[in-house]
Amino acid sequence: MMNASAGTDLDSRPVRAIADESSRVHRPALGHAGLIWTLVRTDFKARYHGTFGGFLWALLKPLSMFIVLMGVFSFLFASDPTYKLDLIVGLFLWDFFAEGTKTGLTSLHARGYLLTKARVPCWILVVTSISNAAITLAVFCVVIVVFLTGAGRPPSVASLVAFAAYCVALAAIVVGFALASSGLFLRYRDLNQVWDVVAQAGFFFAPVIYPLGILPERYHIYLYLWPPTPIIEFSRAALVTGVVPSTTANIYLLADAAICLLTGILIFRRLSPRAAEYV
Amino acid sequence: MSLIEVDSVSKAFRIPSVRRDTVREHFFGMLQPRKFQRLQVLDTVSLTLRRGEALGIMGRNGSGKSTLLKIVSGVYAPDQGRVNVLAPITPILELGVGWNPELDAIDNVLLIGSVMGLSLREIRRDMDEILAFAELERFANLKLKHYSSGMSERLGYAVAFKAVREVLVLDEIFAVGDAGFKARCEQRYWELRRLGHSAIIVSHNTRIIAEFCDRALLLDSGRVVMDAPAKEVADRYVSSLTEGVA
Repeated sequence: MMNASAGTDLDSRPVRAIADESSRVHRPALGHAGLIWTLVRTDFKARYHGTFGGFLWALLKPLSMFIVLMGVFSFLFASDPTYKLDLIVGLFLWDFFAEGTKTGLTSLHARGYLLTKARVPCWILVVTSISNAAITLAVFCVVIVVFLTGAGRPPSVASLVAFAAYCVALAAIVVGFALASSGLFLRYRDLNQVWDVVAQAGFFFAPVIYPLGILPERYHIYLYLWPPTPIIEFSRAALVTGVVPSTTANIYLLADAAICLLTGILIFRRLSPRAAEYV
Repeated sequence: MSLIEVDSVSKAFRIPSVRRDTVREHFFGMLQPRKFQRLQVLDTVSLTLRRGEALGIMGRNGSGKSTLLKIVSGVYAPDQGRVNVLAPITPILELGVGWNPELDAIDNVLLIGSVMGLSLREIRRDMDEILAFAELERFANLKLKHYSSGMSERLGYAVAFKAVREVLVLDEIFAVGDAGFKARCEQRYWELRRLGHSAIIVSHNTRIIAEFCDRALLLDSGRVVMDAPAKEVADRYVSSLTEGVA
């Protein structure tokens, strides 16, 4: 019964009930491994012209930003011996947050050409859209460790494990935001401009280029409400100071990331069934 | 055995009196409430596709044919009713598949093939045949943004016909390419039918429905007004055009 020349075997996937919307979100990711890999690979290729040189070129933006900020603000915070190390940790984490949320927000719209032509799990289109930012962060994690080691502060294994957990928490926050905003962007097409302004303000609201300690302690709680702030501060504590924050603080951070992710999933589940109608 | 069962499916769209697509438009329009008109595109439509069968769908523009295909393909969700799909589908909607213009033909075929549920191994195995069918072997590494519309449409149909799964869902079949390509598509279609594949075909072309389908539906204003052998439906469609009423 099968076509010999095309050679495609009929698979034995379960019965699909389109009316059951939950099936769009809850199909196992492993069943889509080929699609996920192809999306990540082609996204990388399209963005960096398929060359490693193109990828290196893209790294120059955050690196040059780091050099400029370090050149300017290390004079301002000359009394802080760890300022440069704090800056590199904060800036690269922020770069992932800013880049991931920006591409995640427009992901469904950008991949609308797939959404309107076949049944495709929307969440895969959103989550894989932040893969380039994640790859960049992975490269910068190595840069951070090299920088710390070069500065005579090699991070301990415990610090690295804690930092890896904070990166995962940040990724969860970015994914949560991307899931929620990608569905909203289809309805509000200037949301990316609004987010650009918020992200710009958020860059200064998070203690990326300044030490949190220069602000009165009573304001810290407000800054910690901005999700990237605890990630950046905890990462600095683990990597630069060498002190992993307390269990209570870590639980707070995980709860923060979980709330962001769950909120994103809930909004996405509400909006995604009709996403193709808005592309 | 039924491969696709559509049971009393309805779909409506809310059409606003004023379209607002941005935060700014919503903000400044807060004091000017909009009116919404309900456009019933499909109204309790039911159909069944049996294994090895080719089902045609005819109807005037706006009768709900494309929306029905999108619901069957899983692109749109129905407002009411139920769709059970018991076999993998290869849909070619709106005269083609979606392409990323920044990627070459090979990557685009891998992308759309994996979206359609094929494994990467299956797609790579069929890649040469797909490119040969579309007569695009020489342009395999050219980005799609440099393709003509005809080339990219041929590539879409080549994916559909060579990397086909069990059910082909085709919107305006054989409307692409020159006479030679159309002939190859028709030949390939009959090969697939002989191998037991099923198909749902939407077309305005009475010859295509009568010749390529076993059975057909006639849609009018979102309702099935006729479910009969394809030739009878095609004749009724022609007479409805001249009468003005389906």
